This record gives sequence, C-alpha cells and structure tokens, in this order.
Amino acid sequence: MIRFILPVCLASLAACGSTPPTELVQAREAYRHVSVGEAGKIAPAEVHVAAQALARAERAFEDDAESFRTRDLAYIAQRKAELAGAIAATLTQQKGQVAADKAFVKTQGEVLDEAKQNLDATQTALIDTARRASEAEAAKAAAEKRAADAQAALARLAAVKQEPRGVVITLSGSVLFASNQTVLLPQAQNKLNEVAEVLLTTRERNITIEGHTDSQGSDSHNMTLSQGRADAVRSYLVSRGYEPDRIKAHGLGEGTPVADNKSAEGRANNRRVEIIIAPEGISSN
Amino acid sequence: MTRPLKIGAQLFVFTALLAGCGSDPALRTEGSASGIRAAEEVGAANVPRASLHLQLAKEQLEKAKKLSADGESAKAASMLARSEADAELAVALSHEDAEKTDAKAAIERVKQLRKDNNLLVE
Repeated sequence: MIRFILPVCLASLAACGSTPPTELVQAREAYRHVSVGEAGKIAPAEVHVAAQALARAERAFEDDAESFRTRDLAYIAQRKAELAGAIAATLTQQKGQVAADKAFVKTQGEVLDEAKQNLDATQTALIDTARRASEAEAAKAAAEKRAADAQAALARLAAVKQEPRGVVITLSGSVLFASNQTVLLPQAQNKLNEVAEVLLTTRERNITIEGHTDSQGSDSHNMTLSQGRADAVRSYLVSRGYEPDRIKAHGLGEGTPVADNKSAEGRANNRRVEIIIAPEGISSN
Repeated sequence: MTRPLKIGAQLFVFTALLAGCGSDPALRTEGSASGIRAAEEVGAANVPRASLHLQLAKEQLEKAKKLSADGESAKAASMLARSEADAELAVALSHEDAEKTDAKAAIERVKQLRKDNNLLVE
C-alpha cells in the first residue's frame, strides 16, 4: 500500500514544487484579464469555455508538469481566453454601431423637421411677397389710370402734348397775364384752378413750370419776365395744395420759341407758360 | 482446440497486435484546414493580430502532419488542437477588426450629418 501511495504523494509534491511552463503562466494571465473585465458580462459563454480550457491545462500540469500535453493545453487555454475577449469586443462594437445608426436616424429626423419649418417659413414669405406684389401691381394700375384720366381732363382744358420730357401742358401767356406783367389775371385763376385739380390727382409726380416770351424786348428783360411768370404759376399751384418740393419754376425767356416771332400770331404762341409733368420716377429739373 | 490451432491463433492475434502497434491512426486535419480557410476568407491576412494567429495555425498544422508521419500521434493530435485554436482566434480577430471599422464609420456618419446641417456635434 505504501509502495502505491508514496509515488502518488511524490508526484503531487513534484507538481506543487514545479515551476509552471510559460504557456500556463500566460494562459492564467489571459484568463484573469478576460474574467475581470466586461467580457464576463458580454460574452459569458465564451469566458466559461476559457475557464474550462484552463482547468484542463491545470489538471494536466498537476499530472505531469513538464509534458507536451500540459504545454499544449495551456496554449489552447490562452487562445480560448483571447477568443472570449475578441468576441466580447466584437459585441461591444456591434452595440456601438447600433447606437450610432439610431442616432443617425434621429438626427435625420431633426434635420427633416428643421427643413420643414424652413419650408413653411419660406412658403409664408413667398405668399406674403406675392400678396405685396399683387397690391403693388394694383396700386400701379390705379396710379396709371389716374394719370390717364388726368391727361384726358387736361386735354379738355389746355393744349397737352406727350413729349420725351413728360406731359406738356401749354397755357397761353395772354390768358394768364396782362402784357409785360407777372401777376396772374383774375380769370387766369379759374383756369389754373381746373388745371390744379387735375394735377393734384397725380401729386406724386414732379412738375416743372417754364415761362417763355416772344422776342420783343431785351434778353435780360424777357428772362426776368419769364421767370416771374413761372414763379407766379408755381406759387399758385403750391397754394392749391401741390407739394413745394415737387414743383420747380424756370424762366427761359425768348430762347425756345415754338413759332415765328415775325408774325403777331407767332409771337402770341411764343408767349406761353408750359407745365411739364415728369414721367413716373423722374425728378423735376 | 488442438495444439497447432492454438499456436496458429496466438500467432494471428500477436501479428494483428503488432500491426496495430506499428501504424498510427490517420490524423484528422479537416478541422484545422477548414479553420485556416475560414480565416483566409474573412481577410485575416490583412489584420495584424489575426494574420499572426493565421500564420501560427498554418505552421502548427504542418508540424502536426510531420509528427504524425514520425509516428508521434499523440503529439500530432495535440499540435493539431493548437492549430485549430489559433485559426479560430484569427477568424474572431478579423471580425472584431471589421466591426470596429464599421462602428467607427457609423459614428463618423452621425458627426458629419450634424456638421453638414449646423447641428451641435455631440
């Protein structure tokens, strides 16, 4: 019996006293590393397999510390522990990817919501712009109608011509003023009242009043006379309500005749006051 | 049984035993070979850690074959088990690398989307 027990005890003692092979040391370390980390929670089955492999290696070490079987089983146990770690890492990465994909979808939703809000705001702005454009169009049409109506009304009162510089209303000098005078005749005021009424319907337009004379008398006298007459007509129209800033008066003397000064009729035509209504958007001279 | 028959039967059994002791059972390399093929197919050669274990698996498979040819069947089988373990690890490390790349790409995709739309990058 003693002959049987003694070798067994000696063998056990031999294992206890033996230095474990490098493979077993590495296997133990690999298992320790994977068992204390997250792998135990994420890949428990693989960690368990690694534990079993290490246990087999430990038993082989106890049986025969130096055998190839001990070394090989320890080698395999290390690989099983590393395998458990790799699988746990893979599962962790997969979870991360799933979370990232969910975040991507959520962000896409945020982007879409913001785009919808911007679209709504843009549509509202477009509708508003369209409405204002329509209103502006209507206002323009109304203003054009007023201008056309005014021109028609003027045509019934005085000579009216459409020129590049604007609508030109020509009033005879002898109707408005006494000879060589710059004070409006009383009967001229009635005519000017009617003209003023029409002009006030287009008060947004700028107006220039030009005084003209015939060639009788000196240039300087005619310049002074024509300026005085233009000023008189301007003052009257301002008194009727036309904005002072929108109405200018110039005396041009005998410089721009419309008829031959050699005849009495021609001279009468040259003695005139012109009221020029500037086209829309043009300032007065 | 007569004496000659007894001797003949004993001789037969002895010869059969001798035949059994002299030849090694065939080494089953399919597990290791298929493991190595699987590792190659998932691109283990392109992943540093995986390619190391793939190489180890191949070397150990060859060692196992040599040991088997030398009659060291137990050692051959043990070496084969090492080869299988390395091949299995090579496959797992390749998968881990691929998942890491995919996860990183997914995170970058979110960051880029937020950046492109002037949203705060979390």
